[in-house]
Amino acid sequence: MSNGKPVCIVMIEDDEGHARLIERNIRRAGVNNEIVPFTNGTDALNFLLGDDGSGAASEHRHLLILLDLNLPDMTGIDILEKVKGNLHTRLSPVVVLTTTDDQREIQRCYDLGANVYITKPVDYEGFANAIRQLGLFFSVIQVPEIG
Amino acid sequence: MPIAGKTFIRTSVALVLASVLALLAIVATSLALVEGTRSRTEDVARAQDTRLHAYRLLSVVQDAETGQRGYLLTGDASYLQPHETAQRELPVELAALEASGVKDRIGVLKTAIDGKMAELQHTIDLVRGGRQAEAMQIVRGGHGKAVMEQIRAEVDQLTNSSNARVQARLLSLRDQAETLRQVSIGGGVLIILFAAAAGWTVLRYTRELVVARNETAKLNAELEDRVLARTRDLTRANDEIQKFAYIVSHDLRAPLVNVMGFTSELQESLGTLEAHFAETGGAEATPSANAARAAVKDDIPESIGFIRASTSKMDGLINAILKLSREGGRVLSPEAVNLEDLISRASDAVRHQLEERGATVSIEGTLPTVTSDRLALEQVFGNLIDNAVKYLKPGRPGRIAVRARPEASRVTIEVEDNGRGVAPQDHERIFELFRRSGVQDQRGEGIGLAHVRALVRRLGGDITVESTLGEGSTFRVRLPRTLVVSDRSAS
Repeated sequence: MSNGKPVCIVMIEDDEGHARLIERNIRRAGVNNEIVPFTNGTDALNFLLGDDGSGAASEHRHLLILLDLNLPDMTGIDILEKVKGNLHTRLSPVVVLTTTDDQREIQRCYDLGANVYITKPVDYEGFANAIRQLGLFFSVIQVPEIG
Repeated sequence: MPIAGKTFIRTSVALVLASVLALLAIVATSLALVEGTRSRTEDVARAQDTRLHAYRLLSVVQDAETGQRGYLLTGDASYLQPHETAQRELPVELAALEASGVKDRIGVLKTAIDGKMAELQHTIDLVRGGRQAEAMQIVRGGHGKAVMEQIRAEVDQLTNSSNARVQARLLSLRDQAETLRQVSIGGGVLIILFAAAAGWTVLRYTRELVVARNETAKLNAELEDRVLARTRDLTRANDEIQKFAYIVSHDLRAPLVNVMGFTSELQESLGTLEAHFAETGGAEATPSANAARAAVKDDIPESIGFIRASTSKMDGLINAILKLSREGGRVLSPEAVNLEDLISRASDAVRHQLEERGATVSIEGTLPTVTSDRLALEQVFGNLIDNAVKYLKPGRPGRIAVRARPEASRVTIEVEDNGRGVAPQDHERIFELFRRSGVQDQRGEGIGLAHVRALVRRLGGDITVESTLGEGSTFRVRLPRTLVVSDRSAS
């Protein structure tokens, strides 16, 4: 257990409506951590792995990544691969949020190391519940510091 | 110029016939020669007999004369010995000569010989009677000598004519042999020519056959390539449509999530407003306050209700498209499927509804086993039986019958019901996506039959309906007995 450096939530979601809904539900669950939103994959990767792509930028960060699979410049799978393949970011929990309920895609995400997979249903209540539970989930976990 | 099959046969048969004719000519000529040789050989033998006997006859007559001369000169009876022998042998030799086939001059010869013998006998008789001088007188008279000359001449003539006959026969034999030789050579040459022509024809025909076969093989290969290319194009087009459907339905979902999400947010805000109005109660009675209250109480909830209903319907449609496109992309795995078991299970699945409506599902006769995709077939017949139960005619006990009509490599499965039927103008429409027919008193999105048709077509078959409104429907699923999955559709 490290010092109580707060967990930073990185939200990679190109649909601003979705981003806003997710944020509202997280806040409603009582999670007040900082949320850093990105609407495209390139900016998100620059933030996560740094401009040099080494991942050193995230060395001392405590991150939780909310990842949408449909992004304008790349797929969330690409980001997932890079995050889970980097020494400094691979331990950060990744929650995949997507409209897909395709079993193969879900399996692929888990194979690549995704921690949670949430389908965005049109049945909003279910979705909101999932987000809130997720909020409760990371209000109790402490992300271990690397190194 | 290609040889037509008919011409080839005609030419070959003609050549073989010609060869057979040439061979027959050779054989016939040989037979004729054998026969000719036989008869000519007999002729020659007879001619030689004639010659032999003619000489002997002459020698017998000369013997007789020698005996007579000896006796005439000496008067010694012992000299008569040759004459007596000749007298005995003479008829024998004459008969032999006649037997050898001499006819025309034999009379003359006989007369001469008879004359000679008579002269000899006469002189011998004179000597015996002691009139030797008289006998010598007769001999000296030269008559006997003249007769003897005549006999010799006759014999010579016989001999000569015999020789000539032998010569002639031998010559004609040679001629005939020569003819046979020529006929044999000619026939042989002809047979060789015909055989060569036949061989050449066969060779040419065979070569043409080979060329034609190669061309056919090439065309077949090209055709196969073309079919493969078309199939590839079709598969690609189909894949694109599926991908398109997938992407569209996917991308439509994202905004829908927003609509639904923010509708819920609105609802939440509405709750806040309602709480506020409940607190303030009827404190403010201005017209605008009343209108705001009405809006919060009735208008906004109604609007939200419509938005929700529409979004959930839209979600249903999107899900349907997604399901179809996902189903279309599924890899089919053929296996032996017993249709009887499959139909039984499908009707078991609707057992509850059947009992509720007093309906039955019966299998008429036996249903075959096909090699096809089990899941797809389950969905096809599950949907059909489900529909049959769903659209029964109220007040009439439902009878659903399933039967098979086997064909050579395919099988037609009929699902017949006595339900409410489908109007003729809807027979094609019911297979279209999101289209429904008749009274809309049942839940449904109009994807069942569209899905069924897509599945059946993927299985290499087709589905049609025959129906009379108010009396019932018969759905016919025509399937190949064995589903062939091309490798490309799997990729």
